[in-house]
Amino acid sequence: MDNFTQPRNTTREWVHGLTALILGLFLLGVSSGLGVMKSIVDIWGSLLSIPEYPAVIMREMYLGWRSNSIGRDKLNEELARLRNENAKLRMENARLGGGAGLLSEDTGGRRARVTLRAPMSWWSEIRIDRGEQDNVVQGMPVFSRGWLVGRVSSVSPMSSWAELITSASLMIPAVIEETRELGVVAGDGTGAVLLRYIPVGRGVRAGMKVSTAMVGEQLPPGLPIGQIAGEYTSGADGYSTYRIEPGADMSGFYTVSY
Amino acid sequence: MLLTILWLVQDLLTVFIGGGMQIPGLFMLGLVYKLLIDEGSEDSLWAIWSAFAGGILWDLRWVGIPGFFTLGYVGVVLIVIQVWGLIPPQGRVSGTGLLVFALLELSQLLPPMLPILILGSLGGTTGLGFMLIQQAYSLPAILICMYVYLRHIRNVKV
Repeated sequence: MDNFTQPRNTTREWVHGLTALILGLFLLGVSSGLGVMKSIVDIWGSLLSIPEYPAVIMREMYLGWRSNSIGRDKLNEELARLRNENAKLRMENARLGGGAGLLSEDTGGRRARVTLRAPMSWWSEIRIDRGEQDNVVQGMPVFSRGWLVGRVSSVSPMSSWAELITSASLMIPAVIEETRELGVVAGDGTGAVLLRYIPVGRGVRAGMKVSTAMVGEQLPPGLPIGQIAGEYTSGADGYSTYRIEPGADMSGFYTVSY
Repeated sequence: MLLTILWLVQDLLTVFIGGGMQIPGLFMLGLVYKLLIDEGSEDSLWAIWSAFAGGILWDLRWVGIPGFFTLGYVGVVLIVIQVWGLIPPQGRVSGTGLLVFALLELSQLLPPMLPILILGSLGGTTGLGFMLIQQAYSLPAILICMYVYLRHIRNVKV
């Protein structure tokens, strides 16, 4: 009967609850700037990869079954494989010519699953489930359906982080294939991909293809990035910036190849 | 043990779906359900710290920064404790179904809402779109959980 007349005292719960909330806020506040958090995330991801393995296998089986039953998907995969192979040959060509030399052995066309894409760095980086054990090397290009989406920025034994072309800090020398104008591809950090430093009045039009240029040693030349979508700004310094429509769907890929 | 299994199942389903759809928050459904049927414990501290641990581990796995789901999970548990504590045990009969539904729904609504409120959007998905999809996928799980709860209440009364 007491239960009817005496409301339950929840003071202890509130003290513990508020402590937990403050602790959560503290973690949220300080951890985004801590480099060690990335290591903790990686370790936890590696530990979970063991119980998650059956789910990964089942997903692979499902995707395999689906692509077999849908002819167009199969053709698209074949196209992506051929594009990867083409990119791999270009890289090998560049390596033999004293170029980038990004790969130490044949790893082209292998698929990796995106295991983390943090909301706060959504347009900057992704984590994939392949690492040193799978011959992933820092600097390697990462593709989605044969289109360049980023570059491997750090490698752990079982996972790697790749910086995306939408990141403001990844700058890639690029060429407009139709005009051979050189520029720099960089993201703005909010989803847009821009081609900068193109001299004004060079007849650049929407639809022209953009790929990596044979400048610098970051990436081999000829890796497809996307196409010109339109002029973004035309600076008073004589250079224009163009908006690029990436070939890959930058907000909706769950697997990549390298 | 049940909560650990639910957390893992939620994680495995998320891996299996691979971002194709939103997975219901099974861990929080289980936690709220346990809170609702728990009448023997003196307090519910276990629920607060279970929510805290589950939230941190989920953040570390799927968000990359601990705090977002941690706050949401603990917030839900505090609200459930407060609201449910207002009803005397004798009054917790099948007539409270609507309230149970509201509390279970809250467990699915609040945690994913916090990252959207703080960040504005999740990648290419707008906040509102994400929320609607999440809630639509959660509804069957909420209804099943509610059914299990009502059955439990009926059995206890009998």
